[in-house]
Amino acid sequence: MFGYYLSLGLRSLRRNPVLTALMVFGIALGIAASMTSLTVFRLMGSDPIPWKSDRLHVVQLDNWDVNQAYDEEKGRLPDQLSYLDATALIAAGRADRQVAMYKVVLPVQPANDAGGPEVKPYLMLGRATYSDFFPMFEPPFRYGGPWSREQDDAKARVTVLTQTTNEKLFGGADSTGKTVRFDGVDYTVVGVLDRWQPRIKYFDLTVGALTEPEEAFIPFTTAIDLRAQSSGNNSCFKTPAPGWDGFLASDCIWIQFWVQLGTPAREAEYKNFLDAYVMEQKKLGRFERPLATLLPDVNEWIALQEVVSRDVEIQVGLAFAFLAVCLVNTVGLLLAKFMRKRGEIGLRRALGASRGQLFMQHLIEAGVVGISGGIVGLALTGLGLIGVRALYSEFKAITELDWTMVGVTLLLSVLSATLAGLFPTWHACRVQPASQLKTQ
Amino acid sequence: MLKMNHLSKVYRTHLIETHALRDFSIHVREGEFVAVTGPSGSGKTTFLNIAGLLEAFTGGEYFLDGVDVRGMNDAARSRLRNEKIGFIFQGFNLIPDLNLFDNVDVPLRYRGFNAAERRRRIEQALARVGLSARMKHYPSELSGGQQQRVAIARALAGSPKILLADEPTGNLDTQMARGVMQLLEELHGEGATIIMVTHDPELAARAQRNVHVIDGQVVDIEAEPRMRGPGIAVPQAVQA
Amino acid sequence: MELRPILSALMRSRVALVLLGLQIALTLAIVCNSLFIISERAALMARPSGMNEADTVILASIGFGADFDMKRAMADDLAMLRALPGVVEAAPINSVPMSNGGWSSGLSLTREQKTSSAYSAMYFSDDHGLDALGARLIAGRLFRPDELGERSRKTEGWPPVIIITRALGDKLWPGQDAIGKTVWLDTDSAPSTVIGIVDRLQAPWVHNDEVVEFATLLPEVINEGAFTRYVVRSAPGQRDAVLKAAEAKLAALNSSRIVREGKTVEKIRADAYSGDRAMMIILGVVIVSLLIITALGIVGMASFWVTQRTRQIGTRRALGATRGAILRYFLVENFVITSIGLLLGAGLAYGFNVWLIQNYQTAAMPWYYVPTGCLSLWLLGQLAVLGPARRASRVPPAMATRSI
Repeated sequence: MFGYYLSLGLRSLRRNPVLTALMVFGIALGIAASMTSLTVFRLMGSDPIPWKSDRLHVVQLDNWDVNQAYDEEKGRLPDQLSYLDATALIAAGRADRQVAMYKVVLPVQPANDAGGPEVKPYLMLGRATYSDFFPMFEPPFRYGGPWSREQDDAKARVTVLTQTTNEKLFGGADSTGKTVRFDGVDYTVVGVLDRWQPRIKYFDLTVGALTEPEEAFIPFTTAIDLRAQSSGNNSCFKTPAPGWDGFLASDCIWIQFWVQLGTPAREAEYKNFLDAYVMEQKKLGRFERPLATLLPDVNEWIALQEVVSRDVEIQVGLAFAFLAVCLVNTVGLLLAKFMRKRGEIGLRRALGASRGQLFMQHLIEAGVVGISGGIVGLALTGLGLIGVRALYSEFKAITELDWTMVGVTLLLSVLSATLAGLFPTWHACRVQPASQLKTQ
Repeated sequence: MLKMNHLSKVYRTHLIETHALRDFSIHVREGEFVAVTGPSGSGKTTFLNIAGLLEAFTGGEYFLDGVDVRGMNDAARSRLRNEKIGFIFQGFNLIPDLNLFDNVDVPLRYRGFNAAERRRRIEQALARVGLSARMKHYPSELSGGQQQRVAIARALAGSPKILLADEPTGNLDTQMARGVMQLLEELHGEGATIIMVTHDPELAARAQRNVHVIDGQVVDIEAEPRMRGPGIAVPQAVQA
Repeated sequence: MELRPILSALMRSRVALVLLGLQIALTLAIVCNSLFIISERAALMARPSGMNEADTVILASIGFGADFDMKRAMADDLAMLRALPGVVEAAPINSVPMSNGGWSSGLSLTREQKTSSAYSAMYFSDDHGLDALGARLIAGRLFRPDELGERSRKTEGWPPVIIITRALGDKLWPGQDAIGKTVWLDTDSAPSTVIGIVDRLQAPWVHNDEVVEFATLLPEVINEGAFTRYVVRSAPGQRDAVLKAAEAKLAALNSSRIVREGKTVEKIRADAYSGDRAMMIILGVVIVSLLIITALGIVGMASFWVTQRTRQIGTRRALGATRGAILRYFLVENFVITSIGLLLGAGLAYGFNVWLIQNYQTAAMPWYYVPTGCLSLWLLGQLAVLGPARRASRVPPAMATRSI
C-alpha cells in the first residue's frame, strides 16, 4: 500500500506543478535558512576537544582594583593572570599539567640557504608557552616532539613549527635540528606539527575566537628572557613601575593560564590550593578584592566568554521564525490542495477506504513534499554557507556541512512537512462521503 | 414585460457551432405565470440565462420591461438584473457561510439601499416566506424546502418585476415541493410575474400557460393565457 | 461596503483566516524588527571617525634584531615620508580609530578618587599627528614642538598638556569650556591640562559604546621597542599611488625591519564593521524572502478560494453584482484578513522588540516602524490578491445556473 500511496501522491503533485513548486520551494527556503544559521551556531559553540574538555581548566584569580571590578557589567573575573601569579603557580606545580602562555609577534628572518625562491623577512604570530601545552591541547606532530621541562627551565632557544611555517621555510621537509632566526635570535627546531586547525582558538579567546592561528611555539621562559612583548591583550588598573622589571612585578594581566586536572577530586584540591594562595598574597598586600577564584573547564569557558556572538544567536532565532512562517505557508497551500480533492476523497470513502487509510495516503503525499523540500533545502543550505563564508571571512573553518547536519536537514524537512500536512489531512478526511457525491 | 423576438444563441468553439436557441420568440405580460417546458438539452436553461441577462445572445431582440438590452455592457446588465429580476435556482445557491439575514441581504447591498431600508425589506421578505424566526440561522441548519423558501425571499426582497425560477422543486421531496409551489402560486395571486422552467409536466400544469421548447425553438404556445390572478397589478409581495 | 457580512463569513470558516493571519502577523513582527536592526547598524556604520578617511593610509613597521635603533629609523622614515610627492602630512602613532586595538586609560577629575571619571583611548603622536589624521581642532591649540616627549617603559608620569575630543570634554566638564581644565591620567603623578579640543575622533573600539567617542591625544612618541605605525595623509586622488610608494620606500630604506602591508583607512573601516554589514545583508535577504513567501502564500490561498467559491460568485453576479463589485469583495476580504493578521502582528512586533531589548541590548523600536510595516503589508496583500480577484470577477453569471 505504501507504494500505491507514493505513486498517488507523486501523480497528484505532478498534476498541479505550480502549487507543488510553491510548497517545495517554501519549505526549502525555510529549511535552508534554519540549517545555515544552525550550522554556524553549532560549530561556533561546539566542544573543540570533547575527549578531555572536562579535564582542562582555565585559572581565574581576582587581583583587580579594590575600587572597581574588572567586569562591572557582567561580574566576570579577569580572564588572564599577572606575571607574578603565573610564575608562582607554575613553581608550585600542583596540577597534573599546567601551562602559562601569551601571544607574541616575531619577525622571521629566513636563512634562504636551501636554494629555491627567496623568502623575504615577514611577521609571524607565535605563542610563548610551556612544554605541557602539547600534551594538554594535543596538536599532532609530524616530525620530532615538544621541548622538555628542562629546556623550559633552561630558557632554551628551541621552537616547534607549524606545518605552514615548515612549508614556507623548509619546503615541508623534516627540519628538526635545523636553525631558524626570529627577531635576531637563533632557535633550534625540535618539532614540527601536522595540520592542526581547532575550530575556535579556545585556549586564548582574549582577542576573539576566530583569529589567525599561531605559526610557531617558543618557551615562555625564553620569551620573558628576551623581553618579548605580549601582542595580545594587556590590562592594568594601575600604572606599573617603569621598566621591564617594573612591568613584570605589576598587577597587569596578560598571561593565559590553563591546568589539566584528571578527576573532580583533583579539581577540588586545586581550587583549595588557589584559595590558599590568594589568602597568602593578601597578607603581602595584594589581592585587595574579596576572595574569588574560578576553574571553568573548556565548555564553561566558551560559554563564559560568549564565543557564540550575539549576532549569530539572533540569526538562529530569526531563521527558525522564518521556518515557522514557511510552515504556516505550506499548511495553507496543502489545505488548499487537499480541499480541492474533496470529491475524490468522498469517492474513495464510498468505495471502501477507511479514514485511516486516507489519512496515511495524504500524509505520505505531504511527506513527499517534505523530502523534496529537504533536498532542495540542502542545496540551498550549501549556497547559504558559501554566502556566510563570503560575508564573515573569519568563519572559514566553521562553515562546512558534515553528515550529521545533512541527516538533520532531511529529518527536519520531512518532520516539518508532515507536521504541516497533519491538519490539512485531518480536515480533508473529515469529509462525509455522501455530501461530496451529490452533483452540486 | 418580457419580450423576445427571433432570438438566437450560437455557441462557437474552434470546431463546433451549437445553436442553442433559434428563432426564439416569447412574450410574457405582467402578472402572468408562464411555465417553459421541454426535454433536457432543449435550450430551456439557455433561454433562462438570456432572459435573466446572465448571458449574451447572438441575434434577435430582447426587451425587458420596455428596455432594449442589446448592446448593454456588463455593468448595465448587472444593474438591470439587480433591479428587475428575482432568481430562484434549482440548487438554492445560498451562501453557506452567511446566515439567512445576510443571504437575503446580498442583492440589496448591490442595490445601494441604506441599512434601515435593507433591514425592513429583509424582515418583510422572510416573514412572507414564513422564516422570520430562523433569521440568524445558517443554511446548513435548514431543510431543502426551507432553503428554497429563503432563496425565494432573497428573490423577492428587491421588489423585482419578474421572477425567474429554474426547476425550483428539482431538489426537493414531494411534500417540500408542494409547499414551494403553493408559495409561488400565492405570489402569482398577489400579482407577481413568474417564468418557471421545468421538465415536469405536472408542475407545468399548475402555471397559467405553457411554452414548449424543443431543440432551441418554441414549439407550442397556448394561445390564450389561463387567467387565474387579479390581472395586471403591482406585485404585493413586497411593498416597493 | 459589505464589511460585516465579509467578517461574519470569515468567522464561520476560520481556518484560512487563521493561517493567513498568522503568516502576516509573523511577517510583520520579523520584518519590522529586522528593518530596525538594519537601521541601527546602518546608523552605527555611518558615524564619522573624525579623521580624513578618503586620503589617509596606515603603515606599520616592525624592526628585528637586538640592535634595531627605533629612534633613528623613525626619524629617517618620517623625513622620507614627508618628502614623498603627494604626501600632505605624516606622523608616527600607536594606533588609529576603528582599528580595534590600542591603548585605553582612565581619567580622574580629582586626585583622591578611587575610580576613574571616564575612560578614553590614548593616541601617542608628535606635533604633526592631528594634522596627519585630518582631525578638526575646534578650540585651543595644537601641540608645540617643545612640548613633545617620549613614552617608554621607563617614562614616569604623563605629559602636562593633552588634547581631548569634545565628547570627552562634555563628559568630564558638562556645560563648561574644557580648555585649561586639569585632569589626572594617573592619580600618583602630576595632572595634565587640556589645551585643545577636537570635534571628533573615535576610539579604536567602535563597538564599545562607553568609550567610542572618547579620545585623548598625547604629545609623546612611542619609540622604544621595534614597533610603530605611521599615519600618512595624501593629496586628494593620490592615495593609492602614495601607499605603493610609501611601502616600497620604507622597505628599501631599512632592511632590518618588516613593513606590514599598508591599509587605507577605508579598508580599516570596512574591516571594523564587516560583522555589522554581514548582519545587514543577512537580515535584508530574510526580509525579502519573507515578503515573497507571504505574497505567494496569499496568491495561492486566494486562488484556491476563488475556485472553491465559483458557484457563489456566479450567484452574486446573478443577483446583480457587477464585475467591479466582485473584485472589490475579494480586495476587501483580503484587507480584513490582513488587518486581523496585522493586529496580532503589531503585538508580536512590540513583544519581539522588548525581548531583543532585554537580551541583546538593542534600542526601542521607534513608533513609526509598525504603522509603516502595516501599510506595506496592506499594499502587498492587495497587490497579491489582485490576480485571483480579477479572475473571480470574470466568473460568468451563468455559473449560477450550471448544474454541476
